[in-house]
Amino acid sequence: MKKIALLAVIAAFFFSCGNQKSQSADASKDAEKSAVVYSVDELYANAADLEGKEVTVKGTVMHVCKQGGGRCFLMGSNEDFNIRVEAGEKIGAFSQEQMGSDLTITGIFKEVKTEADAHNPAREHGEEEHDHDHDEEAEEAHRIIVQAEEKADVVYFIEGLIVVKEEI
Amino acid sequence: MRHQEVLDTGMKQHIGMKIRKLLRILHRDLGYFIVGMTIVYGLSGIFLNHRHDFNPDYNIYFDSFQTEIGPETNVTEPMLRDILAGLEHDVVYKKHYTTNQGNIKIFIENGEVVINPENGEGSMSYLKKRPIIFEMNKLHKATIGTLWKWVSDAMAVILIFVAVSGLFLLKGKRGFGRWGLWWTIAGIVVPLFFALMYI
Repeated sequence: MKKIALLAVIAAFFFSCGNQKSQSADASKDAEKSAVVYSVDELYANAADLEGKEVTVKGTVMHVCKQGGGRCFLMGSNEDFNIRVEAGEKIGAFSQEQMGSDLTITGIFKEVKTEADAHNPAREHGEEEHDHDHDEEAEEAHRIIVQAEEKADVVYFIEGLIVVKEEI
Repeated sequence: MRHQEVLDTGMKQHIGMKIRKLLRILHRDLGYFIVGMTIVYGLSGIFLNHRHDFNPDYNIYFDSFQTEIGPETNVTEPMLRDILAGLEHDVVYKKHYTTNQGNIKIFIENGEVVINPENGEGSMSYLKKRPIIFEMNKLHKATIGTLWKWVSDAMAVILIFVAVSGLFLLKGKRGFGRWGLWWTIAGIVVPLFFALMYI
């Protein structure tokens, strides 16, 4: 009897996991149908009007944070047009496998107003760099990102809600 | 009165025995249940502890190579695919573009390649997931969705219960009062010392 009860709990757990995946897929399909999809360039062109609103943006993943995938950067027509997307609780994490893929993401478009909102690789990845994990890709990506932020009058980011579509 | 006192003491001892028996049963069964998650948290905790020494999720491979691309070469996608086909690690082309510095950057599955078109020098960084550890890290960091967040909270509560209930299982010479208390205090002093010194 106890074994049956334990198996029932485990089965319910896996069923609800499957349900959550299919609910997420349904939410993704709904988002795909309804939203206006901006490119990264278009997002910046309309930034003042879109700030604080839920937007859907499509771009090429140019960098995924290697320490846990908590954020990625989507690129527009060139590297100078890039936008940080925080995975947050809803998305969970981005994966390195998504590098170079075109992602369509829905999230809240926000202005960086506080230190907490800002992207700080030194704070997130540690102040000290270790030679045996010398990562030129990450360093180059951070250089490009910092350069773009320094040029901008206002720095924006997206608090990700859902990955609508992924195209490889 | 004396008879009543004996009865009361007996009742308390009886209740104490029942509670201890229940604690033993729960400690035993929940202890078995939580072994898997404890190993997940422990092992992934070691890798995550060293996240500034090495990448806890991926093995990263770096490679350099030489191509025949030069300043006059008209770089095309088929050409780049051919170059990638000759490299190690079963590299799969995704897309490419020219960077602000004039380099050719190629996104590949699980990494990227950068080629300097002036001299044809190329470099590749390629990532491979650490099998099992990658998945354990995701569970540990609770980055797989809201449901897991609550399930792992429940697991943590069970772990805390197993730890605390263990304090009260033994009586006598090696029980908590005469022996376990000092080990418990030592176990608290170690992290407390580091917290006070370094936080």
